[in-house]
Amino acid sequence: MKITFKIWRQEGANSEGSFKTYDIDGLTEDMSFLEALDHLNERLVLKGEKVVAFDHDCREGICGQCGVFINGRAHGPHDHMTTCQLHMRSFKDGETIVVEPYRAGAFPVVKDLVVDRTAFDRIIEQGAYITAKTGTAAEANAILIPKEVADNSMDVAACIGCGACVATCKNASAALFTSAKINHLNKLPQGQPEAHRRLVGMTDQMAIENFGSCTFTAACEVECPAEISISSIAEMNARYVKAKLFG
Amino acid sequence: MSMFFRKSILAATGLFLCIFLLVHLSANALLLLPETTARGLYNGYSTTLRESLVIKIVAYLLYLSLIFHVVYAGIVTYKNRQSKGNPYVMNHKTETSTWASQNMGVLGMLILIFIVVHLVNFWARVKLGIGETVRTDVAGNLDVYEVTYTLFHNIYYVLFYSVLMLPLGFHLHHGLQSAFKTLGFYHKKGLAVLAKISLIYAIIMSVGFAIIPIIVYFK
Repeated sequence: MKITFKIWRQEGANSEGSFKTYDIDGLTEDMSFLEALDHLNERLVLKGEKVVAFDHDCREGICGQCGVFINGRAHGPHDHMTTCQLHMRSFKDGETIVVEPYRAGAFPVVKDLVVDRTAFDRIIEQGAYITAKTGTAAEANAILIPKEVADNSMDVAACIGCGACVATCKNASAALFTSAKINHLNKLPQGQPEAHRRLVGMTDQMAIENFGSCTFTAACEVECPAEISISSIAEMNARYVKAKLFG
Repeated sequence: MSMFFRKSILAATGLFLCIFLLVHLSANALLLLPETTARGLYNGYSTTLRESLVIKIVAYLLYLSLIFHVVYAGIVTYKNRQSKGNPYVMNHKTETSTWASQNMGVLGMLILIFIVVHLVNFWARVKLGIGETVRTDVAGNLDVYEVTYTLFHNIYYVLFYSVLMLPLGFHLHHGLQSAFKTLGFYHKKGLAVLAKISLIYAIIMSVGFAIIPIIVYFK
């Protein structure tokens, strides 16, 4: 399989970037997209050129590291999929693939395709956890939670923090991510004591980090590998309105 | 001021404008009646509106809603542009979302142009008395029907009034359902129903408003 990669190359956060074109042969349809980039980098090493920097870790779709914009879509052409789960069979032999880093003011480019997503970590620090020790599984099971509530909580807990929602959003809004993290805990009895602090702290941090506001284009839920629905954002809004009106 | 507050203002004013459109279209439907009946009812209705204190208050709420909707749309758009930063070189937005949802600002601007022209055509003449004097009908009411009738016998105005209802439809389809979500309506089955209601509402509004000038033109 022969592919022409047009890849964004940028030396550092403050340097000017530009696209570079690489014609590469010897790829197979069974390769994942990341393996194709590995293949390209091996060729670059042999030629004595600098390799393309890109984020990756688990390569099994659960860590959320492999965020890149491929042919005009976050994580490539498929819905609900991480880049590591994308395979070269999704492209045609001889195709040109444009690869860009995620674009958002809150996600500055570190190098090439790598962006700094620590803004998410700082939102998490504002309360996406429970301060008290919740004990072991046996103790957790002592608190009865209706199945429906547990399921709803689990649906949003599935967020892997990949940042595709921000990347695809025309406003670079982190509403899907933040709402998932808030709703996950605020739905459960264990999350109640800190529910208000979590809601206000995390949404405030979202604004401090310069993420935009949600316009409900719903592009995020299409790209989300965990298939989190934008109704999660509406639910966060409901909690926010309730908190502001009734304390 | 929080981004929730700004978006809530947009949503609340938008919903108020949606209710207004419903009332406005119902009144416009009077124009479809036979000429003598339509003239009497339409002019009578418009006189009642101008003389009612309640309507006066609602009208001021309406002006405020429109102004706040436009101003906050500008502020929110400006802030969102700053948040986004550099755009992508290749971005297939329409694969993940509707065109209307990505272009609410452009659609809104077209509607604003419409509103300005519409206000000059009617509001300025009837309410402010600017331009050609509006005559009275046999019942002594200002003959707003005549103003409408004359305007919609100019093909350029008919086209302008009808074609610009298309962006209105797209704007309403996305705007109505989004406003509810912004204000915290998140019931999953309810959202599916809401999406259908928004579509039906948008079609009725845009087709309804667009078709009346055309019918009047051929009257």
